[in-house]
Amino acid sequence: MSASVGRRSIEEAIRPRQRSFHAPALDPWIILAGLGLIAISLTAIHGATTNDIKGNASYFTDRQSIYAGIGILVAVFLTRLDYSVLYQYRRLAWGALVAGNILVFIVGGSTRGSQRWISLPFFQLQPSELGKVLLIVAISGFGVEYARRIAEPRVTLRLLGIAVLPAVIVASQPDLGTALVYIAIGIAVLTAAGTPTRHLLAITAAGLATILLVLAVLPAAGVDLLRPYQVQRLTGFINPSADPGDATYQVNQSLIAIGSGQRLGRGGSGATQTGLDFLPEHHTDFIFAVIGERWGFVGAALVIALYALLLWRAVRLVLLARDGFGSLLCAGIVSMLGFQIFVNIGMTLGIMPITGVPLPLMSYGGSSILTTLIALGLLQSVHLRAAHPAAAAVRTRVRV
Amino acid sequence: MARPKQRSFDLRAQRLKFLLGAVVVLAGARAFQVGVVDAAGLKKNAAAQQSITASVPAARGDITDRSGVELAVSRPMVTVTADPMMISNPGAVAALLAPLLGRNVADIQAKLSDRKKQYVKLARRVSVADANRVRKLKIDGIDFEKTMGRSYPRGAQAGQLIGIVGDEGHGMSGLELSYDKTLAGSDGQRTTVTDRLGQPILVTDSKTARSGATLQLTIDAPVQDQVERVLAGVGRVFQPKGATAIVMDPNTGNILALANWPAVNANTIGNASEYAQRNRASGFTYEPGSTFKAFTVASALEEGEVTPSTLFNLPTVLHIGDKTIKDSHDRGAETLSVSQILAQSSNVGAALIGLRMKRQKLDHWIREFGFATPTKSGFPGEEQGLVLPLSKYSSATVGNESMGQGLSVTPLQMVQGYAALANGGILRSPRIAQRANGVPIPATPGRRVISARVSRLIRDMLRGVLAEGGTASGAEIPGFDLAGKTGTAQKVDPSTGTYSDSRYIASFVGFAPAKSPKLLTAVLVDEPQGDIYGGSVAAPAFSRIMAFALPYLGISPR
Repeated sequence: MSASVGRRSIEEAIRPRQRSFHAPALDPWIILAGLGLIAISLTAIHGATTNDIKGNASYFTDRQSIYAGIGILVAVFLTRLDYSVLYQYRRLAWGALVAGNILVFIVGGSTRGSQRWISLPFFQLQPSELGKVLLIVAISGFGVEYARRIAEPRVTLRLLGIAVLPAVIVASQPDLGTALVYIAIGIAVLTAAGTPTRHLLAITAAGLATILLVLAVLPAAGVDLLRPYQVQRLTGFINPSADPGDATYQVNQSLIAIGSGQRLGRGGSGATQTGLDFLPEHHTDFIFAVIGERWGFVGAALVIALYALLLWRAVRLVLLARDGFGSLLCAGIVSMLGFQIFVNIGMTLGIMPITGVPLPLMSYGGSSILTTLIALGLLQSVHLRAAHPAAAAVRTRVRV
Repeated sequence: MARPKQRSFDLRAQRLKFLLGAVVVLAGARAFQVGVVDAAGLKKNAAAQQSITASVPAARGDITDRSGVELAVSRPMVTVTADPMMISNPGAVAALLAPLLGRNVADIQAKLSDRKKQYVKLARRVSVADANRVRKLKIDGIDFEKTMGRSYPRGAQAGQLIGIVGDEGHGMSGLELSYDKTLAGSDGQRTTVTDRLGQPILVTDSKTARSGATLQLTIDAPVQDQVERVLAGVGRVFQPKGATAIVMDPNTGNILALANWPAVNANTIGNASEYAQRNRASGFTYEPGSTFKAFTVASALEEGEVTPSTLFNLPTVLHIGDKTIKDSHDRGAETLSVSQILAQSSNVGAALIGLRMKRQKLDHWIREFGFATPTKSGFPGEEQGLVLPLSKYSSATVGNESMGQGLSVTPLQMVQGYAALANGGILRSPRIAQRANGVPIPATPGRRVISARVSRLIRDMLRGVLAEGGTASGAEIPGFDLAGKTGTAQKVDPSTGTYSDSRYIASFVGFAPAKSPKLLTAVLVDEPQGDIYGGSVAAPAFSRIMAFALPYLGISPR
């Protein structure tokens, strides 16, 4: 490995390298899960959007294919790159994260009242999406930097602030869903970095108090931080059929779509919930409902299984990573993917609030798929340089 | 610098694994619940919001006369509806719509002001042209539904006979009711798939609507026209309560015209009285009076009790039991033959002829001629009349019935009976509908009731009614060989239960040419004013109908 002296010293400082167990190889399961999900996504998007743009049945499919292709190229590049170089860019990453999300307020375009993206030629960049990996890199780096003082409350607060500050900016775009992803990444990395349990409990308590404050106490006092539609969406899932007209319309239509798919699905032409436009946001936020209607429970279960495979391989890497930075990166990525997957699928299944969180690799959107593929590239980079799986197995036995 | 303790790190990673595992299992379980357990109900919801199944009304068959002239047709019409919640100013909208819809402004305004409803029908059966005029106003909340409407191109012609169709497209009266099965066809079923905005995407007919059959009547429109005109004249001159006329081919039973005055326009039948709406040819019974004497004579001839020249000594009045019978015109005692009794319509004579027969014989013949039984002509609500059973006979009954009192008949029964007297003795059900979609509707077979000889004798005797000295001599048309019988029957006053001195039914039944009848016509005038006699009220109408119909139909009058 031809790493620079400076980087090597950092790596040595983090953890002794375990060259003897090193077996440089890509994780085929991550590739399988990733490509499988992309293939399902493109098929589903094609079926769902055939009639959306008159005269161009494959408008969305073509674009998503290009985004996926670019994302795969980026992922291949990152696989070849030693992820440890990113450690030194942790401040830059965080600065870019904050600056990018502030930039949208200045030059951003808006979708339905929220400013989220910056127009580039051929592409509308959503800084908050790419911000997810930037946050993972930054907070993992700082986590490693403060590893020795991890038990100090100041460190906990500082690490937490690294996630919460950009989350607050993103939340005011407003993009509550992405803000929650940031928080989830922060908590996961903090946990993996070894933040004391009592700190984590305090953070949890503070979080619950904040939720209570924003949803109940402040509105009662006449201060509304959230917009009415956000409150409706956040609380509507508790009883979706109470108000089929407005806030919970989407969830009802999503449930009807998935239920209509029954065991084996209605096929492309029979998917009337999607085809007749009853299901809103069918190629973006509610793509899982499209899959449920078209391929039934079998299709939905297959998608969930592929995500489970992906998450399992990523969690495994938390333990196998060569160093603490790699572990924290993987923990952050697992959290980012896991949170989005659960919140999005949970939303379409009516057990989570509507927050506009995209389904990784599945929902239409260039920034999202690029972000996810960058994350998968980083996972492969960690895997390529990880300890031999056997080492983990031995350690586990010792522990037990 | 060392990484955090290995063991606690592993433990934390294990927790993460456990958390993720739980999350995956939870998502999978929920997907199973929605996609498999609750799936059937949710699929129904999808179908419910995406498709509407509605019945497609079948086009109702037309009704035509015997040569295809349209009497009743179905055409696309429009029901104008409204969503009162969307109407902000019901008064102004009502003022705009009411004249175009031909409705009352206050009614429309009342409907539009009913804010609790989201759907009201403002006007049914609006013509497409009128609906388009409303459409051009572009009023929010006003909507249009296509329907098939029934229209009667000839307006009042044969209105009561043809009847009407209700709002649901089924016959309510007349032939529209009795031939509803033939005319209605069968409604189809159409499923329309709509998108989220309610735009139709896919229309599938799960059951194709089958149009109803065209019903071809035996009616001849020009003859019908003439009959209606003649009755209108009767109405003008005698101001009766009503008048009914039937024209029939006595050899086939085919009804060529059937009219009731006052005329009722089927397009606006709701405005007419119940009496006017009724097809009184079959839905009205009366005591036939003198027109019935022909059956008494035919029965006596058939029984061999008399011949046309048998002479009867007629007293001024005849006492039978508690009943006194006398003739309509005062006269001294005289001797008349059977022929003369019929021509001059002597009550005393008819009673004496009837009394030659046993009561069982008379009862047998009355029923044999089709009285007290519906004619099976195919009219709805047909009356069957009333003939006393033998057990209810009093000493006066035979004499009474012989002169057409004490029993009730429908005009159609009289026509049916007279056709048998005229055509050589065969009783046939009157026939009104001859083809459904071009396929002949079989006629009920006739049956012989009297011999051809008796039929010929009766025809000869009935000539005398229109001849010099007969009761209808004024109705004679020079050159026409007419035969018939007058009737002037007192009506029973419903308040007293006895015969009224002021209410009469004047009638005439006749045919031509007398020696070989081709056309039979009955005219009945209910409560004529000014004149009451069949010979002067009904017989002239008969002549005017015959004077048109015989040449029009190409029948030699002799």
